[in-house]
Amino acid sequence: METVGFLLDGIFTSLQWFNLALLIFGCLIGLFVGAMPGLGSVNGVAILIPITFIIPPTAAIIFLAAVYYGAMYGGAISSVMLGIPGASTAVATVFDGRPLAVKGEAMTALTAAAVGSFVGGTVSVILFTLFAPPLAEVALRFNAPETFALMVMAFATFVGLGGDDVPKTIFSILIGLALSTIGLDLITGKPRLIFFNIPGFLHGINFLVLAIGIYGIGEMLWTLEETKGKVQMSKLSVNMKEVGRAFGALKKTIMAMNIGSFLGFFVGILPAAGATPASLMSYGITKQLSKNSKEFGDGVPAGVVAPECANNSASTGSMLPMLTLGIPGSPTTAILLGGMILWGLTPGPLLFTQEPEFVWGLIGSLYIANFFTLVLNIALIPAFLMVLRIPFAILAPVIFVLCVTGGYAPTQSLHDVWLMLLFGFAGYILRKLDYPVAPAVLSIVLGPLAEKALRQSLILSDGSMGIFFDVSEKPIAAVIMYIAIVLLIMPAFGPLYRRFFKKKQTA
Amino acid sequence: MSITNKITVKRAEIAVAVILALCSIALMIKSAENRITWNAEENMGAGFLPFYLSLGMFICTILTIIKFVLKRSPQSKDDSPFIDAVAFKFIAVTIISLVVLVLAIGYLGIYFSLIFFLAFYLRYFSEKSISFITIFAITTPILTFLFFEWMLKIPLPQGVSEPLFYPVYDFMYGGFSFAVKMIFIILTVLLPTALVFLTSRFIK
Repeated sequence: METVGFLLDGIFTSLQWFNLALLIFGCLIGLFVGAMPGLGSVNGVAILIPITFIIPPTAAIIFLAAVYYGAMYGGAISSVMLGIPGASTAVATVFDGRPLAVKGEAMTALTAAAVGSFVGGTVSVILFTLFAPPLAEVALRFNAPETFALMVMAFATFVGLGGDDVPKTIFSILIGLALSTIGLDLITGKPRLIFFNIPGFLHGINFLVLAIGIYGIGEMLWTLEETKGKVQMSKLSVNMKEVGRAFGALKKTIMAMNIGSFLGFFVGILPAAGATPASLMSYGITKQLSKNSKEFGDGVPAGVVAPECANNSASTGSMLPMLTLGIPGSPTTAILLGGMILWGLTPGPLLFTQEPEFVWGLIGSLYIANFFTLVLNIALIPAFLMVLRIPFAILAPVIFVLCVTGGYAPTQSLHDVWLMLLFGFAGYILRKLDYPVAPAVLSIVLGPLAEKALRQSLILSDGSMGIFFDVSEKPIAAVIMYIAIVLLIMPAFGPLYRRFFKKKQTA
Repeated sequence: MSITNKITVKRAEIAVAVILALCSIALMIKSAENRITWNAEENMGAGFLPFYLSLGMFICTILTIIKFVLKRSPQSKDDSPFIDAVAFKFIAVTIISLVVLVLAIGYLGIYFSLIFFLAFYLRYFSEKSISFITIFAITTPILTFLFFEWMLKIPLPQGVSEPLFYPVYDFMYGGFSFAVKMIFIILTVLLPTALVFLTSRFIK
């Protein structure tokens, strides 16, 4: 019952006029960012975080969460209308959304996407409200060793479940961690890795520099290459009759909604997964379980609902470990987590007792944001179509301006802007060669926290690494560590497993 | 054969892996400037973590190189160009103009640099009219100024152009009423548009 009281408080917090205005503004920006090909929630949040420094943390998180949320809705718009995903999270929406648009039923696809997103968002927020307080209570008992073990597990999920080339994934994690060690050493106070004695390195590398570099500059370069500055759009007739028909078609998609909402939420909690794999998995499973699975790919509303439901659900799910454990569940929440540190908060379970207004304001705002985004999304479809006609050659320099100013503003130094350009270019090249970039962003955010937890644990244990593996002494830390080790060695067994199965089939 | 065809995915993969391996070694050497040892009696040396992290990076790049030599990675068999010629032009011009932009910010200050950057970029890549580009290139820095310096109170670098902004600051922090300031803002945003519009009429 206590939860209901907190939740109502949270909803009232998010309905205060300043917060509500930011929420609606955030939803609009999110929808816009999501709809633009090449920009997704992670880009929007990374580029916008520097401007949240002057508003209170609660308002800032409500604004950024609304951007995150809106982008999940908006991604569908360009998937359907342009046939290119507006964000990586909307890749699976293209499979059936595009064929529907080609058939002339674009409005059906867009409505199905919006309603699917709404259902996924709502179910997951309810799950979130139920799960978060008990999980935070358990997490309150965590000390440094448990925290460090959790972070190792977060990194290990990228290796075990990320599906990318293993040495390249580990490289990405390690370079993020190494970059986070630049600057003054926590314990001894000695300067570390001050290249060419440039004083700019003394304050370390802010995670924002890497995040804006990779997700701002790097992403723009990537999209410029893909689109060559031009986009093609399919035709759309907007009338209320179509919207009505679209709602009628949604009756057949209840199974897709269920799968998307629940699967999305739990996949979203995993650090390596996030919304993109959640939506792909949801699409795949819905297709397999559907009675008319052959029609998938030719344009069925269920094929749009399943991934859209899942990506919204996953984005809420990824906030669960961020708030309760201080471990982000997706690249976007990694940046939000870094933002919390910049706003002067300590991410983790203590937030629930020390900053209830912040936590419950965020949770409450998710309920409100869901409603507003649904309404804005359907009402503003004609406006977004105009936005999609903006040539990329005009949008790109505007984004560059935002990146340069955003990279400069937090530390007021051009040094960081240069680094941001370097990271953007390097990130673009590495991404072209299939080096995953998300682990690096996650690890530069978690790096300082992980280092602190590691060193505190080692002080507790008089310098023995045994503290992480002793089941009788620290059972939770040990279990988490062993799970992490299993995840780390899992890819090694993949080929063996496949070989075994192949032999069985041929035999 | 153009240069973009010569740089295949295969060549890029091995070149990048070797560069990353060299960078990892450089990081290891740099970390070793601090104490890199750690045992039960002594605290962890300041160089310990960076050293072993970069050692790990080095091992990963070596594994990538081994996979390449054994032709186990998809990139090691890929002879297609790393980037096609049209996209290369886009990327190269973008990167060079960004580098010039940041260089110029250090000297000219951000607002004037942005005008040149936007004007060049739009002229080069878009098919918009000169008057559109002029309005766009002038209005964007004005909005940036209003947003950062006025709303957020975050000063952006102004380089040699700083004295030009003194009167603006005097006005911003002077005792004018809110309404006067608002009218001023609206005028500064609209004025360039109106001017460009008028001149384009006259020139035609």
